[in-house]
Amino acid sequence: MNTFLRKNTVLLITLAAILALFIAAAQGMEKKDFVITLLRGLSVGSLTFLVASGFSLIFGLLDVLNLAHGTLFMIGAYIGWTVFVRPDTFVDLLTPLALILSGFALGDVYPLLATRIRFGLSLKRILPWALVFTSILLFGWILPRYPIAIWNVGNYGQSPVTYSFMADSGTRLPVLPAAFTEISAPLALIGLLLASILGAFGLALFNNTAQPLKLNWKKFISFAILLLVALLTFIFNDSLTAALTGLSSNWLFVIAVLVATLSGAGLGALIESTLIRPLYIRPIYQLMLTLGMSAIGIEIVRAIWGRPEFVMPKPAFFNGSGGVCPATNFADWWANNCSTILLLDGRVRVYNEIFIPIVGVIVLISIWMLLQRTRLGMVIRAGVQDREMVEALGINVRRVFTMVFALGVGLAALGGILAAPSMGLSNAMGESLFLNALIALAIGGLTNYPGAALGSVLVGLIQQFIIKYGQIGIAIPFTDIIFKPTPPLVPASTVLLMVIILLILPNGLLGKKE
Amino acid sequence: MTQPTNSRLSAFFSSNRAALLTLLALILLPFIVGMMDGESPMMVFANESGNSKFAQGLAIEIFILALYALSFDLIFGITGMLSFGHSMFFGVGAYLTGISIKTFGLSLPATLGLVFIAAIVQAILFGLVLPRVKGITFALVTLGLGSVFHIVVMSSELGPYTGADVGLQGVIVPAFISPANERLRFYFIALTILILVYLLYKRFVDSPTGRVCVAIRENEGRARMLGYNTFYFKLAALTLSSLTAALAGFMHTLYQPIVSPNIANMGFTVTALLIILIGGVGTLSGALVGAVVYRLLDFGLRRYIGESASFISGAVYVLFVLFIPFGIVGTWKMKSLQIKQGWQRLQKLFG
Repeated sequence: MNTFLRKNTVLLITLAAILALFIAAAQGMEKKDFVITLLRGLSVGSLTFLVASGFSLIFGLLDVLNLAHGTLFMIGAYIGWTVFVRPDTFVDLLTPLALILSGFALGDVYPLLATRIRFGLSLKRILPWALVFTSILLFGWILPRYPIAIWNVGNYGQSPVTYSFMADSGTRLPVLPAAFTEISAPLALIGLLLASILGAFGLALFNNTAQPLKLNWKKFISFAILLLVALLTFIFNDSLTAALTGLSSNWLFVIAVLVATLSGAGLGALIESTLIRPLYIRPIYQLMLTLGMSAIGIEIVRAIWGRPEFVMPKPAFFNGSGGVCPATNFADWWANNCSTILLLDGRVRVYNEIFIPIVGVIVLISIWMLLQRTRLGMVIRAGVQDREMVEALGINVRRVFTMVFALGVGLAALGGILAAPSMGLSNAMGESLFLNALIALAIGGLTNYPGAALGSVLVGLIQQFIIKYGQIGIAIPFTDIIFKPTPPLVPASTVLLMVIILLILPNGLLGKKE
Repeated sequence: MTQPTNSRLSAFFSSNRAALLTLLALILLPFIVGMMDGESPMMVFANESGNSKFAQGLAIEIFILALYALSFDLIFGITGMLSFGHSMFFGVGAYLTGISIKTFGLSLPATLGLVFIAAIVQAILFGLVLPRVKGITFALVTLGLGSVFHIVVMSSELGPYTGADVGLQGVIVPAFISPANERLRFYFIALTILILVYLLYKRFVDSPTGRVCVAIRENEGRARMLGYNTFYFKLAALTLSSLTAALAGFMHTLYQPIVSPNIANMGFTVTALLIILIGGVGTLSGALVGAVVYRLLDFGLRRYIGESASFISGAVYVLFVLFIPFGIVGTWKMKSLQIKQGWQRLQKLFG
């Protein structure tokens, strides 16, 4: 006990100081304000935690500072919004996506094919370029003509803003199903499949490293599954759209969350295996690469979903009103699904201030279990400690890297879709939350999982308390001045806290000394 | 006696041919652009030639950017400290210049002195952090300091001084270097400053102090083991870098009609990173080349493509990282022998 105290004196003093600050903050406001601010802080903290934990897992294991994490958070939100508000667009997109991926699923087959066919030397040089070029031409010809029922950013009546507004008021705008007019359907499907196979073949020819030439039947199965998905979604397009549109908004929200998380994970795996992997020998360039990706990601979002902000409607389970709302007790809330509930006479929004923190805690516990109780978690923890040793033990670290990157980005995307109904969607939502997450990690310890949670909660609480005090003002002792912190002080305060904590404890609150 | 000096002179000319030619081209640039529009050099002197004036303006912007990128190359490329708060160095110079001229009516030399003092003070502020944090944590702390500065600049309390989110405007520049009427003079002053700073940097990197800075980048532990107190060397690099960036900010305020708060943003640090990545990290001349490429690319893209220009600059960034990681100058240095050989082979082929 004594050694523990001596070793962690600075940490304990810092924690005590923060606790004292909170107690002082609690004294200055009424009880109901305190409860609401606490819940809001936890909510912001949960969202920050979802971004921060993924970031810290990636940084801990891969040593990659993924500065595009905030952008990926935002992309998750936008994807989820698409599934929730425009299921028809989502269903239309499934077929071409599955076709494009199917060619690349056959990865192992191409090198084998290349060794079986004998080319001349000059042909061998030209062939990859020719294949890739043909594939790009084919994609460029088919994709713009492929019919997808989508919003129109240029036209306000059909913009995401309008669709979002209409969905919020309960009516969905009738959407004309897109039809094959400029191109015949079989041609488009076969062309996409062909383009994808050609492109994958060409790319596989570029790297000449001879791989062990054994056919992996799993690849064929995944190819077959992707083809099947493409065909099924193509044939049952209309009925699938009708089924999704007819679904209650609760189930649609669940589907949106799942799709956003999974596509975030897929995107993460794609980014890691194509862009990050060649750069493990040059760590600083990875950082610059992710910076560039973040700029590109924001531009893509602007091009597809437009610049104006819009709000994603809440699922019906959290959106009830009228009658006995705001509910005064849990039974009332359960019966009416009120959007707000009264706690100590303060109105609390159920989705923002109760649901999000609960999800945050669930994710916290499940990732903790994953890290502590599974084999993958063991490898991750060992990898954070000493990557080379794990490699030397014969574990395929590369695969674990891809999985962790996918997990991290998936968590960010989950955060994005959860934040969408409470924060709204904007091009800047990623940046501000990412700054929060960075601060939280710096406070808690960069590669420390509990530290990420502690830091996120601290950041969320401090921000919300300062916002609240901006409304009610702080009475400075011994004077009559009431100091009101203005909104710009909110980010400044957390940043200052970060700088102070890093100067006292360079490795963060819970980070280990190197 | 004349013979050795002569040969030394000719050796100097032959070894620095490219640099001297570039310098000559830059000196003649305003007149050549004027000539192409059929305007005599006298009109260029009188600042009446429109196109020439425009070209001068673009060149001045490039010079300022190059100064700023040079200062970032010194601490990132040479000393190996990744600072995400570098735009603060520039921003302090720019805003302090604007405020002291506009609000307090100070003269230009007094302002410059004040800017230099502030630059040293902020270098020491960053230096306070240095011994405690390293690597990524240093990047985070500097990011924090930089964003506090950005927030302070943007805050409405300081609105009367900094212009908050509109930007600082209405700075009255002394008539003898006003960029509107005496742009040619401004052009040559900016060019001179850039050349002097570049030579100073070259000298610094070749000096014993600069060599220790390179050693710190390669392996700080080993440098300390050899008996160097690395803190002082890092602080020296930071101070020089801060002074240069503040000087660039000073010129930025004099040249631009509005100082936008974006220059204190994290994005402006990324601009510096992008510039030295294009030019070549750790090669000082790379910062100059990168600034030219970056500004012209940005200018061209915004003119012909419009809004989505930053998509393309992001893509350029990613492509550079993946395929030309050592930048233009770095790759040239590595491959120059091969290129020379290829050129000779080509010459042999045609006799």
